[in-house]
Amino acid sequence: MNRVEAITVEVPGPLRAASGGAARVVVPAHTLRGLLEELERRYPALHRSICDETGKVRPHVNLFVNQQHMRDREGLDTALGPGDVVIILPAVSGG
Amino acid sequence: MPERVLLAIGTKKGLFVAEGSKTRRSFDLRGPFSPGVAVYSALIDARGKPTVYASSCNPFFGMKVLRSTDLGKTFKETKSAPAFPKEDGRALANIWSLASGDGKKDLWAGVEPASLFKSADGGDTWQMVEGLSNHAHARKWQPGNGGLCLHTLLFDGKRVHAGISTGGHYLSDDGGATFAASNQGVGAGFNPDPYPEFGQCVHKIARHDDAPGRLYMQNHGGWGEWDGPGGRRPDIGVLRSDDHGRSWRSIAKGLPSDFGFPLVVHPHEADTIYVVPLEPATRTCPKGSPAVWRSENGGDSWQRLSKGFPKKDSFFTVLRDALDADRLKSPGLYLGTTTGQLWIGRDGGESWDCLFDSLPPIHCVKVATV
Repeated sequence: MNRVEAITVEVPGPLRAASGGAARVVVPAHTLRGLLEELERRYPALHRSICDETGKVRPHVNLFVNQQHMRDREGLDTALGPGDVVIILPAVSGG
Repeated sequence: MPERVLLAIGTKKGLFVAEGSKTRRSFDLRGPFSPGVAVYSALIDARGKPTVYASSCNPFFGMKVLRSTDLGKTFKETKSAPAFPKEDGRALANIWSLASGDGKKDLWAGVEPASLFKSADGGDTWQMVEGLSNHAHARKWQPGNGGLCLHTLLFDGKRVHAGISTGGHYLSDDGGATFAASNQGVGAGFNPDPYPEFGQCVHKIARHDDAPGRLYMQNHGGWGEWDGPGGRRPDIGVLRSDDHGRSWRSIAKGLPSDFGFPLVVHPHEADTIYVVPLEPATRTCPKGSPAVWRSENGGDSWQRLSKGFPKKDSFFTVLRDALDADRLKSPGLYLGTTTGQLWIGRDGGESWDCLFDSLPPIHCVKVATV
C-alpha cells in the first residue's frame, strides 16, 4: 500500500473564512480526488466552495497542481506526491 | 413600539442595509456585505430579536446564506446552505427566496433550479422539501429569462403557496408535505395551450391575512398582440384568486401594461395592491415615465402614482422582489431599480423621493420596523 502524502493546499483570500483563516492547509492525499474528499471531511465549507453538491469542481474555480491546471494533468485523477502543492484559484471574470 | 425602519437591499454587488427613524426622512446606508457577490433574496425576520438573512449567490464559490443578529451591522455565513443530495444530480444555482416559517428559527428557501428547502435552526442545516422539489412536474419545468426559480413562498396556516418561473403556482394544503399545480385561469403566452395545467411564468404572488383565500398574482403578461396558436391572450398578467389560488381571474383592465414583476399588498388594507407595469418588449417604464399603479378595490380599478418620479427619459426595470412596504400607520413603499436607485413612496405611494441614486443594480428590497 502506497504511503499517503501530506499535500499543501493554497487557499485564496476569499475562501479563508472556510479554512479557519489559514492561507494554506495540509491534508493527506495521493490524488486530487482524494484531496477533495479529505477537504470535505476536514473543511466542509471550503469543499462546498470548490465543488457543487454533485461533486463537480465549480466551473469558475481552477485547481492547479504546482503550476499546471488539473485539466492539463489527469483531472481529478492526477497523482499527488511529496512536495506537490495544490493551488485553488477563482477564474478571472469581469462585469 | 418599533423605533427604527430597516431596509435590506440586495444588489448585483452585495447586500446593503439602510436604517432610518420612523419619520423616514433619511436613511443611513451600510455595506456592501458579501461585497462583489450578487444578492437575490433577503429577509428581515422581526419576530422577537430581529434577524436579517440574505442569500449570497457567488458564481465562483457557490451559494451562501448570510445571517445578522445585530440589525445588519455584521453578517456571518450560516453553517451550511441548501444543497441537493449528492445522488440527485441537480446543483444549486441560486437562492431566490427566503421566508420565515411558524417556528422561531424556521426558515424556508426557494432556489434555482426550482426546489424548496427548509431549515429548523435559522439556516445552519437544511432539508430538501421532497413534495415540491421532487414533484412529478419538477423535471418538466423550464427556466425563464432569470433562471428556473422558486421565487415566492407564502404561508396561510397549513397552506403553502409557491411561485415558480416557469412552473406556475403550486399549493400545499398539508404544510408543505405535498403540492399540486393550481393554475386554473393563469395564462401562458409562450405555450400553444393558453391555459396549461402548469408551466406558467409566474412573477410574484402576494396575500394579506385579513383576506383569507384571496391571492394576487403578477404573471408574465404582455401577450395582448399574440397572433400564434391559441389566439390572443390579453390581460393575463395581473390576476386575483378568491379561493386560495385554486382559480384565478384577470384584474389587469385599466393598467397601461399587464407585464411587470413585483406585486405588493398594502400592509393594512387587503383591497389595496401595488404593481409596476413595464413595457413587455423592453421591460422598462412605459414611455420612459415611471409609475407605480395602485388599486384600492382589489383590482377593479387602478390609479397611477408618479408624483416625484421623472416624467420622461427613465427606462429602468423593477425586479420581482424590489418593491416592499413598511408597516407603519402611513406606510412607505420602497422600490429598487436595475439602475441602482432606491425610491421611497411616502403616504402609501402618493409621492416618491429617491433615497439613494447610485447603488449597484438592485435585485431585492425588504423592509421591517424594528
